[in-house]
Amino acid sequence: MKVENLLTEIREANLSYLILAQNMIRADRAEALVRLGLSDEVAAIIDQLTAGQLLKIAASNMLMCRFRFDDSLVWNLLLSHTRGSENSQAAGMHAAILMAGNAVEAVV
Amino acid sequence: MKKAKTILGEARQIALASDLIRLGARLQVLESETSLSRERLLKLYKEIVGKSPPKGMLPFSTDWFMTWQPNIHSSLYMNLYQSLNRSSELDEIEVVVHAYRMYREYIGRLGMPEVLSITRAWRLTKFFDAAMLTTTGCGECHGQFVVHTYELTGGYVCGLCDMPSRAGKTRANRMAAYADAENGERAEEATV
Repeated sequence: MKVENLLTEIREANLSYLILAQNMIRADRAEALVRLGLSDEVAAIIDQLTAGQLLKIAASNMLMCRFRFDDSLVWNLLLSHTRGSENSQAAGMHAAILMAGNAVEAVV
Repeated sequence: MKKAKTILGEARQIALASDLIRLGARLQVLESETSLSRERLLKLYKEIVGKSPPKGMLPFSTDWFMTWQPNIHSSLYMNLYQSLNRSSELDEIEVVVHAYRMYREYIGRLGMPEVLSITRAWRLTKFFDAAMLTTTGCGECHGQFVVHTYELTGGYVCGLCDMPSRAGKTRANRMAAYADAENGERAEEATV
């Protein structure tokens, strides 16, 4: 991928991520905090952003979102869930429990 | 509990009660969590569900939460509950409603049966408040799972890391598998 394309894609991903986050926060603050893994303070800032501010922030060369579950166990469980093996339901459930518990304190 | 003295306060209480009824809560939950009178709650219940609420006592045992399948489901609910509780300042019952909705979403997406009812989820929360139940970390996956408070949990391993051989093999599942197999055979016969 060429660098220019890469940058455009990062900006597009940033923009859709920020818009989604803002919609989630406005629809239901409490659930959004858990789903996004966000602190109340940052959520309040994102809530107040105007469309112009969103655009400018999204036009960064850095991705605004990151991998929340930096744990190979979670990823292996998710993989075995998608494979549809015998214990795939249990694996999906196991991943859900780990992700739900990790939800808020994940970002250090 | 807050008394609903104002009309707005009462409207909030009614909204909360109807949320709970739609999620399938028993009347005892509503009586304990709202300040509306029993008569009004009964009326509201009939208006929403279309029939009288079930009678009888609520399930009161902490042991139910320890068996394999209920334990997994209650642990998922409790993790969601605690995450919501940490991140925002809602009333306890509102956290219960939110956590239960999210629990149902997960279960629905995984195609699993709804093992934990809202009434059980509420009971579970009360057991945690009363320090009869708590969560402990699994030694292998480090997930948090529901256990009795004074149980010895050194070297605890959860039911998902160390699955019992008969886990999830309930009568209902067996019957479903049997029905599937039979349908499969019939389809084969039809193609022959």
